[in-house]
Amino acid sequence: MTEAIRAENLVKTFGNVVALDGLSMQVARGETLGILGDNGAGKSTLIKILTGYHQPDSGQVFVDGKPVQLGSVDGARGFGIECVYQDLALVNGLSIYHNMFLKREILWGGPFGFLNHREMRRRAREALEEIGIAISSVDLEVGRLSGGQRQAIAVARAVMSNARILLLDEPLAAMGAREAGLIIDLIDRLKARGDIAIVMIAHNYAQTLEICDRVILVQHGQITFESQAAATSAEQLLDIVRREYRAARAGLG
Amino acid sequence: MAEGAEGGLARRAYAFLLRPEASVIVVSVALVIYFEIANQNFLSTANVQTLSQFVAAPVIIACGEIMLLICREIDLSVGQVFALAPFLMENINDLGVPEPLAIVGALAVCALIGLTIGLITIGLRVPSFITTLGMLFLITGLTLTISRGYPANTAGEPWLIGFMGGWSYSEILWALAIVAVMHIVLRHTRWGLHTVAIGGNIVASGEAGIAINRIKIANFVLTSTLGGFTGLLEAFRVGSIDPLAGGSNMMFLGVASGVIGGTAIAGGAGTIIGGLVGGIMLGVMQDGFTLQGINAFTFDIIIGAAILIAMVANIHLARLRGGGAQ
Repeated sequence: MTEAIRAENLVKTFGNVVALDGLSMQVARGETLGILGDNGAGKSTLIKILTGYHQPDSGQVFVDGKPVQLGSVDGARGFGIECVYQDLALVNGLSIYHNMFLKREILWGGPFGFLNHREMRRRAREALEEIGIAISSVDLEVGRLSGGQRQAIAVARAVMSNARILLLDEPLAAMGAREAGLIIDLIDRLKARGDIAIVMIAHNYAQTLEICDRVILVQHGQITFESQAAATSAEQLLDIVRREYRAARAGLG
Repeated sequence: MAEGAEGGLARRAYAFLLRPEASVIVVSVALVIYFEIANQNFLSTANVQTLSQFVAAPVIIACGEIMLLICREIDLSVGQVFALAPFLMENINDLGVPEPLAIVGALAVCALIGLTIGLITIGLRVPSFITTLGMLFLITGLTLTISRGYPANTAGEPWLIGFMGGWSYSEILWALAIVAVMHIVLRHTRWGLHTVAIGGNIVASGEAGIAINRIKIANFVLTSTLGGFTGLLEAFRVGSIDPLAGGSNMMFLGVASGVIGGTAIAGGAGTIIGGLVGGIMLGVMQDGFTLQGINAFTFDIIIGAAILIAMVANIHLARLRGGGAQ
């Protein structure tokens, strides 16, 4: 499998807090990597560096094997990196297709730049069909959709804009089993395309092992465990974290 | 074939009734029928002309306020800009500038007032309610100073006076033209779409890369300019300019037209057509009750209660529509 994105020796500090302490990771095309770890372990900082939101103090990011400066969120998008945040960044009062094209609207030619609703509807429908999301109409207001459908729209928007590296921040958070199933199926279909590298942050060990090809555990800004998902059990991960808690409590005592 | 067409018609009728403007249209039509039955003169040529004059000014003001309300802002000072604009025009005209250019000059100053409101609101992070409340008093004082408190006559070539509001229907034609343009702006341009997006979810809009400040400032400039333009139209129609014209009453009529027409005061939703319909409904009520010869003291009570009922009803209907579907 060809490498999509790689980070080497990322260090990021906020004042006295070391968020990332020389972390290295890589993901290949068609691969799904799960990032596990406690709050404050450094997962979010890692994602925010990969989306260009934060700049690392030191270390290097590579896309397609070439060193890059992401610089900003727009810069990272230029390299095909898209992130679906937990808040999904959807506008409830707008239709599905308006949301999918927000700030990337298709316009008619000509001096006034009127919105080409017809073309946006058509392409939104196509994009949803392509990744197998069944929705009766792209004219529906996003606010009327379920949590799973909204998540699916946010993912579809990222994929439609030619994301080749898709970062998902807790895509299954606060979702019922049926809704989660919708998203897991969607991730499976994206994986099957083989051209997208997916990095997802998650809390639920069992679910993550189910969805991802490989998992890493981040603790104190470093990777403390890495394994193929098929060769890993939730027990194993739990054991490591349990040891951590005990050590922390002993330290406090 | 015929069945399909019928089904389509029924679906269209249903879709129409779901629109926020629908209830107001139905009520307006009912009011027109009532006033026509109660007073045979309601739909006479002379009264339709009077009615059109009642309606025009609030509707133009509403076009600006609706854009601001949708992106969660408001302009309380638009009625004062309304009063200031004709005096600006007169003063620029007195400097020897031809009147058409003096009109453009006055509108440019109004736009500048809108820009100032926008920059203070955005730059200093003051709620626009506060910024424009201050502006309201400031501009009142400015107008009184410029005019020394005296009204004046509107001068000008007959064609210009006619074109700018003097002819029987020119003011309402201006209003309809502005409504048409603003409807297209709101529904079919990025400016409109981004205005709705900002009101709906400002964080998401920022993450998508929308230029939030620029859109908001543009809407403040638009509202002040439209306010000034309405003031000019009224000045030409009435034939005199009054430092106390327009005012908060005019501003509230504009805001009420928008809200009656379904614009959400909390932002994120609204239509220009709704503002037009809301303005027509207010005009029909004012004009109709005047024709009925209702006592001037009770008149405001009736109008006030009617506005209150219309707005409460519309907010509740919006809630029903939101919860009823799916």
